[in-house]
Amino acid sequence: MNTQTPQRMGFACAYTPLPIIDAAGFVPFRVLPMGDAPDQAGSFLHDNICPHVKRVLDRALGGDVPELAGVVLMNSCDAMRRVSDAWATARPADRVITLDLPIACDDTSVAHFKAELARLMERLSEWSGRPVTVEEVVQSVDRYNALAAGLERLADYAAVGALSGGHRVLQEIFNRSVTRSVDESLTELDRLAAGQGDSQQTDPGVPVLLFGNVLPDPEALELLEACGCRVVADDVCTGSRQLVCYQLDGQEDPLAQLAHAILSRPACARTLVSPQAGLLAGQVAARARECGAKGAIAHVMKFCDPYLARLPAIRDALREAGLPLLVLEGDCTLRSLGQHRTRIEAFVEMLGGSPP
Amino acid sequence: MILPYIKELAAGIEASLRSDPNQDSARKRFTLEIARLGIRLFSGEERVAWCGVFAPFDLLTAVGVTSCFAEFVGGWLATIGAVQPMLEKAEQAGYSTDSCSYHRGVIGAALEGMMPEPDFLIATSTPCSGGMATTENLSRHFSKDLFTIHIPRDDGPEGVKYLADQYRAMVDFVTAQIGQPMDAARLRQAMEKTNRARALLDEAYALAQAVPTPARRRDMSNLGIVLPLLFGSEAGIEVARAYRDEFARKVKAKIAGVPGERIRLMWLQNRIQFSNPLEQWLEEEHKAVLVFDELNQICWDPIDLEDPYIGLARRALSIPLGGPIERRIRNLQQHARAYRVDGAINPCHWGCRQGTGGRGLVERGLKEVGVPVLNLEVDCVDPRHFSEGQLRTRLEAFIEMIEGRGAGGARLEVAS
Repeated sequence: MNTQTPQRMGFACAYTPLPIIDAAGFVPFRVLPMGDAPDQAGSFLHDNICPHVKRVLDRALGGDVPELAGVVLMNSCDAMRRVSDAWATARPADRVITLDLPIACDDTSVAHFKAELARLMERLSEWSGRPVTVEEVVQSVDRYNALAAGLERLADYAAVGALSGGHRVLQEIFNRSVTRSVDESLTELDRLAAGQGDSQQTDPGVPVLLFGNVLPDPEALELLEACGCRVVADDVCTGSRQLVCYQLDGQEDPLAQLAHAILSRPACARTLVSPQAGLLAGQVAARARECGAKGAIAHVMKFCDPYLARLPAIRDALREAGLPLLVLEGDCTLRSLGQHRTRIEAFVEMLGGSPP
Repeated sequence: MILPYIKELAAGIEASLRSDPNQDSARKRFTLEIARLGIRLFSGEERVAWCGVFAPFDLLTAVGVTSCFAEFVGGWLATIGAVQPMLEKAEQAGYSTDSCSYHRGVIGAALEGMMPEPDFLIATSTPCSGGMATTENLSRHFSKDLFTIHIPRDDGPEGVKYLADQYRAMVDFVTAQIGQPMDAARLRQAMEKTNRARALLDEAYALAQAVPTPARRRDMSNLGIVLPLLFGSEAGIEVARAYRDEFARKVKAKIAGVPGERIRLMWLQNRIQFSNPLEQWLEEEHKAVLVFDELNQICWDPIDLEDPYIGLARRALSIPLGGPIERRIRNLQQHARAYRVDGAINPCHWGCRQGTGGRGLVERGLKEVGVPVLNLEVDCVDPRHFSEGQLRTRLEAFIEMIEGRGAGGARLEVAS
């Protein structure tokens, strides 16, 4: 029996192909933009860069991350490109690979991303000292799919107020699911599923859709509930968009299928689909209608161009659907969200609810 | 409003060139050709595409489409002092003041009905995510189809192939949009013209490195970013030739662009687009000259006429702003040496996560080769928050520091 503790592999973007990291024998560790690391990123990057990326870099600079065998970064947006640039200077001893992430999901892009996934496998094989096989990747996809499905069930419980501890607990589980091994997370989900029958349904609050980029602080979710919100669905890359099922059909070229599955996952604001514009706005409005929300709350990182630029279109789409929108700009700290408390309560009242 | 203004501008320059050939200059030729491009864009008589900054404009020229990057409009509105109402319009529509004002300017113009309706749009993933989002928003505004080009980070064979394949797909998209196939002979001609313009421009840039530089204050402003709009056409060749000839003549005659040049400065990314006194003040008070703009460079090989898509892909991937920052820093270091600069000014355009995002890394990189960097806090398009006094104070301190290092002394004899 191998008792050696697996090494952790850092990452920062929800598009990171975690099954490949897992298949290589590493534990994917998302450097979430949390913690009390001192603000040092400004010495590398301009202050008007996305706070998500700055907090990630602050953690790296402040030694607020566990020992990492390497870091897998994604070329997904300007901010992620900048953290990729800065990481090598901030921690020159770290092994870093940056994968190119196409913005669309056409055949050309899938072929290119497949090549990028193969490059990652090759690099991780070097780092782990053993070859990573496609079969192992497929097995890891299955395990991550099981985890994603389990998390989705938990989110459903939380949506109807039936998860003990509410969205605070759900977010804690979301965070653990990307900072420890998939097996540990699956074990926890089994245990939680067994205990769900005992949960008491609580006052559900006003149903809202929460969307945006990152909101990993469990206390932030608790604050929303304390203001009278019931998050019936989310479209957040530290929430339900973090781990999603990748459907492989078991036929030929699984790596190409994985590339396609990752590129066609629920879109972050940085993703486009030619030739139609307004993918994200349509996606948010459709999600809000499907989940029965009375309104939507956008939590968007300050200086996140992809989201900031799409908010007018999203607002239009929600207005057409008859759903009010509350936009909260954040900086990854609870302090910034706490300042919005009055606005959130007013929004809840407008939707017909009342803060507890 | 825009079309009459551009027509008047073009007519004025043409009249000036006719009446007094001594007033001819490369900059005037450049401005005239860009004005003519503007007339074609805004006349409603040609097929038009609004694009990302690094779109292959010569490829679009080859297929008969007049194209331009959307940010050009934002910058140009600032140049003529008309951007403020456009910015306000965009902000009233919900566009954040933290976003790039080049983008807000063009969105505001579209919302005001001042942008010509394109036939289609082409977004590019570099230089920035904001530009990509803006092109998508314009596509939504005009209800016109959008094609996206992902410019990969890697400039190796896989990245080149991927981008070349996208260009081929783009041509399929464009020819389907306009109902007209790509003519192979026309494509070849366009690439030949691009290569000729490239060679002339390369010579002009080499001449601009002379001490003293032959370039006057505004000669090089926006040249490297805007001239590609004319690639693939005779106009591109003519403008590049005008620069090459003018600089060659001045270098031979030892005519300084700025008499008395003492301090040579590098300017990162774009200049401040609206009227401001800083550059003139630097020249007049300190004989400090902007000898190199980061975007004024040829970093790509001539396009292989037998395989143009590969050459075009290599060209896009060679642009230092698009790749890892180490590449950009190496490039800046090389140019700092070639142009013998004493210092660099980074305007840190507010809202730009691309050019200014890694400013600390750029600063470190240039310091490695002995070039101090002044990071300014400025918005290059939005004049509403322009703090002339503060900027002047910081520039003054920077110049004093450079002078304290003994810069400029060796050049005094040559320049005066």
